[in-house]
Amino acid sequence: MPLSEKNSVVFAYESLVHSTNVLLSLNDQRKQDLLCDVTILVEDQRFRAHRSVLAACSSYFLSRTVGQLTADLLITLPEEVTLKGFAPLLQFAYTAKLILNKDNVSEVCKCAKFLGVHNIEESCFQFLKFKFLDCKADQQECPRKKCCTSRCQKPNINIALVDDGDLEIDDEVEELLETEYITTHSTLNKGEKNAKVSPPLQDNTSQTCDPVYLEKDNVSDLFSLCPKYRKFQKAFGTDKVHTAEISSSVKDDQVKSATSIRQNESFNDAIQKAQECTAMQLVSKCEETPSEMEEEEEDVRKEEELKRESVSQSISYPVEKTDADSLPQNSSVAPHELYSASFLHAYEQYSSSNFTGMQTNVVAEKTETGTVVRNDKPVSENQDDSLLKSDLCAREDTSITSTSDRSSVEREVAEHLAKGFWSDIYNTETACQVHLSPAKECSEPVYSGKKSECPWLGISISESPEPCSQRTFTTLSSVNCPFISNLGSEVYSNSPEISSGDYIQEPQQEQCPYTCVIGLGEDSETDTEGDSESCSAREQECEVKLPFNAQRIISLSRNDFQSFLKMHKLTPEQLDCVHDIRRRSKNRIAAQRCRKRKLDCIQNLESEIEKLQNEKASLLKERDYILSTLGETKQNLTGLCQQVCKEAALSPEQIQILAKYSTLDCPLSLLIPERERMAPDTKPVIPLCIELPSGLSGAVSASEHSSCYPCVRGISDTSYNQMQELCPVSMKTSEKTLLVEQCGQGGGITDFCQQMTDKCTTDESVL
Amino acid sequence: MESDTKGAYVLNNLAEVVERILSFLPTKALLRAACVCRLWRECARRLLRTQQSIAWVSALEPGPSDSHSLVRALAEELENVHVLPQTVLYLADAETFNGHGECRRQKRARKRNSKETAIALEKLLPTRCQVLGLVTPGIVVTPMGSSSNRPQEIEDGEAGFALLFPKIDGVKIHTFHFFKDLKNRVFDESEFTEAGLKNNPELRVVLLFVYNSWKPGANRFLQQIVNCLNEKSIILAGGHVESFTSLTFENNAEVRDSCGVVGLAFSGSQLQSATVLLDQDVIDERTVEAAMQRLKAANIPEHNSIGFMFACVGRGYQYYKNKKNLEADAFRKFFPNVPLFGFFGHGEIGCDRIVTGNFILRECNDIKDELLHGYTTVMTLIHLGSTKANQV
Repeated sequence: MPLSEKNSVVFAYESLVHSTNVLLSLNDQRKQDLLCDVTILVEDQRFRAHRSVLAACSSYFLSRTVGQLTADLLITLPEEVTLKGFAPLLQFAYTAKLILNKDNVSEVCKCAKFLGVHNIEESCFQFLKFKFLDCKADQQECPRKKCCTSRCQKPNINIALVDDGDLEIDDEVEELLETEYITTHSTLNKGEKNAKVSPPLQDNTSQTCDPVYLEKDNVSDLFSLCPKYRKFQKAFGTDKVHTAEISSSVKDDQVKSATSIRQNESFNDAIQKAQECTAMQLVSKCEETPSEMEEEEEDVRKEEELKRESVSQSISYPVEKTDADSLPQNSSVAPHELYSASFLHAYEQYSSSNFTGMQTNVVAEKTETGTVVRNDKPVSENQDDSLLKSDLCAREDTSITSTSDRSSVEREVAEHLAKGFWSDIYNTETACQVHLSPAKECSEPVYSGKKSECPWLGISISESPEPCSQRTFTTLSSVNCPFISNLGSEVYSNSPEISSGDYIQEPQQEQCPYTCVIGLGEDSETDTEGDSESCSAREQECEVKLPFNAQRIISLSRNDFQSFLKMHKLTPEQLDCVHDIRRRSKNRIAAQRCRKRKLDCIQNLESEIEKLQNEKASLLKERDYILSTLGETKQNLTGLCQQVCKEAALSPEQIQILAKYSTLDCPLSLLIPERERMAPDTKPVIPLCIELPSGLSGAVSASEHSSCYPCVRGISDTSYNQMQELCPVSMKTSEKTLLVEQCGQGGGITDFCQQMTDKCTTDESVL
Repeated sequence: MESDTKGAYVLNNLAEVVERILSFLPTKALLRAACVCRLWRECARRLLRTQQSIAWVSALEPGPSDSHSLVRALAEELENVHVLPQTVLYLADAETFNGHGECRRQKRARKRNSKETAIALEKLLPTRCQVLGLVTPGIVVTPMGSSSNRPQEIEDGEAGFALLFPKIDGVKIHTFHFFKDLKNRVFDESEFTEAGLKNNPELRVVLLFVYNSWKPGANRFLQQIVNCLNEKSIILAGGHVESFTSLTFENNAEVRDSCGVVGLAFSGSQLQSATVLLDQDVIDERTVEAAMQRLKAANIPEHNSIGFMFACVGRGYQYYKNKKNLEADAFRKFFPNVPLFGFFGHGEIGCDRIVTGNFILRECNDIKDELLHGYTTVMTLIHLGSTKANQV
């Protein structure tokens, strides 16, 4: 080969990692914003990238970037491309890795199609879609629950519930008083209304004197509530008119106490003029704030303190139910006025006959009691609850005679209420505390009782108040007035409806998660009634604390289950419980299968045993048969031999010679023993001789052998051992006969017998 | 006479005609015909190279003879297949394979018998072919003939099948065997390399079969192996079998008493495969079909493909409320032309994954993919490449 040619040889070096490394460094550049020359705007988020990379990966970007000469290009993607879908694709462009989960898979798929991203195969999306399909089906069942549980974690919920409970009672009472024939709908609506109103109230309480905030909340709430109110209005137009009138009258009377007005409005007027109401509130607020700001604030603070320290105040009011409910609302805005206003309301409603008088009283009181209360409160801080109660009661008594009777009863109720009510909430909420702090003792048993009924309550304290309030409410009613009891039962019976109503409204009020909790609580009641039967007591107990059904825990696959747990954020105890339930159920299933398999196995074995026994029986039968045929043939043989000998008339010497030269299988050998019958010990020899031909002529299968031997034994009436012993004896005794031959024969026979016995024993043992 | 000489002339000289005629012969006859003359030998060689599609022999009915029905079926059918097997995977049900009649009583007799059957099977196959034989509690098999036959789940009763892999261009199939060596506690990575499971960029599919997994330490051993393989972007599927009966070039008796793993490794860039796991939440027809839809969505070509189904003994008709053959039927519904093979075993290996030449789709959890399962079914679809020269 010439030198020049050698030099011209070309080698190609090919790096296998180059492409990957280039991509990696490009990705680094992107992260550090080095050399990036394009900005992509997706849903208000900016992504920096290299246009060459994008253009190489996507036909869409290719068309968008080609010909663009600006130094820094801004590409705003159309709204088809979502942030969720684009981010993974951009990552894919730089890393060749697409991170897909069930949330983004469909959007990524859409975006990939839209952007014309290369190297992504449709099939993977398809695959994942089917993979997540069944998960989705599961999840559709419980989006609500999820959101509820997530919200449950907010501490506010407790308060909300408390408020709700109270408000509910309040409203119900009011309605009862107003219209004796309250239907379930009304309670429902009321409940809903209350639920909705509660959040703003809560806000009020928490941020005691922040009018703007209040108004905002109220407005929004009112708006959100509007549909319900309308419904409500339709259902109870007449009643509402009444209430509206009442409220308006009250309003008029209580011009100063704008807060109370607001409440009235919010409850009653809101139906007709929610917006007006808000405006009114604004006005009232405005009025209030300048004039009474300082006082109010002070009062509010004081009151709050009071509440914290002694919930007695709220309880002490004879109107407890209404008060309790109205209190949180009122207290938040203008406590003193509120109190008076609430008094007014309650009184009015209770003493429907004295309505107008009430109002006047209220007006009077309002001005008076407002101040009085103010004055009293600081005083009462240090005083006992009873004192306060008595004071208040007294005051009320003065204003209204009828209330005095109630007051005692109601005080009980109030105490009842107060004892247990939501001790947990105590710290978080001022307004609520009014009711709360004293309430503990009573409500706890109630709570526990409830618990067993509805597992959902266990999740958070927040839910417990709901049923509690109902419960207390019922007790109230039993004491007080027939309407309420009716109402209570109605409320119970309607709980699913309520829940459903709440659920419908959920989307509207995103601001207030509380209602959903109510819905949850009540849902749980209805749900678990069905389930509880199927579960064991212990599971039920555990389940009480779980936000979801035990069936779900059991039915989920492992991966789903883990993600499910992640989603729910459970406490360690709950986690344990959930795992426990799951493990136990799995074990149960496994045990069932195991049992079944075992049973199958046993069955198989039994059938096998049966089969084998049948086989054994048939074999035994066969053996008997063979034995009998053997006996026959032997008899025939001996007969034949004798006959032949007789006919031939052979001399013993001849026979001996014959026997000597005949082979073992010759029946002639029989003759020898025949001759020797004279000798005393020949007996055993006969069978031996007989046996020879049969054994040899058989030349035989093992079974024949085996059957042969016992037959021989049977005929000769001697055991094998005897035979063996006798053989030599016979040889000795029959010296006339051919010793040598006998010996040889005897030895052969004994060997043969030995073999057969061996076989027999082994066969038998095998059988 | 004249026609005779003409015929002789044609058969001696015209390769095209001879090849065409020979192409109708099954492989065994073809090999015999190859001995006739040089021309025929060349033709036969060419033909053999084109025979690259998989064949299988299945036995579903218990035969009258005293040997296993698979032995008989294989003996008969090997005469008819158009394939020169290079790798054979056969599975038979444990109950009948291990013994017949009374011999089942004694363990020794049973061992001997299964070995005899295995030897009988191996004798039927060409000497140079790799044989991997497994014994499992139940069998999933597609009847012989057309690949569109309805696959059958045979949970008990005599059944078996043998998959005959010819030499396929671009696809390499290795058998491998790792067992737990008491002396050598550390797992030897070099064994992996030897088996083509390491440093093999073309490795796509590994079918793993674990035997004697009830032995102490077997689980850890299995984990070691599975984790090694799981790090790669390959399809892993398989299950726990009762025992393995044959593996050519492995006749170490003591090995069978320890626990270990046997398997087939498929490598080749043209391979495409997908696997889905039918978890415990797959409990009825709808969910099974959803899983099959998923497998279908992986878009693996259906010609020249085989399906594998590794199910748990706990599944089957009892699991589906006495609906028999549910999973196999669901597979057939979505893959009417793909033969399905598999077994009911004591545990499964697999997960949801797609591996093709162009992309890999796998779960990326913080935790490693869970590969070892119980009470599940793993369905795997393997496409062996689009060989154009396939014969029917």
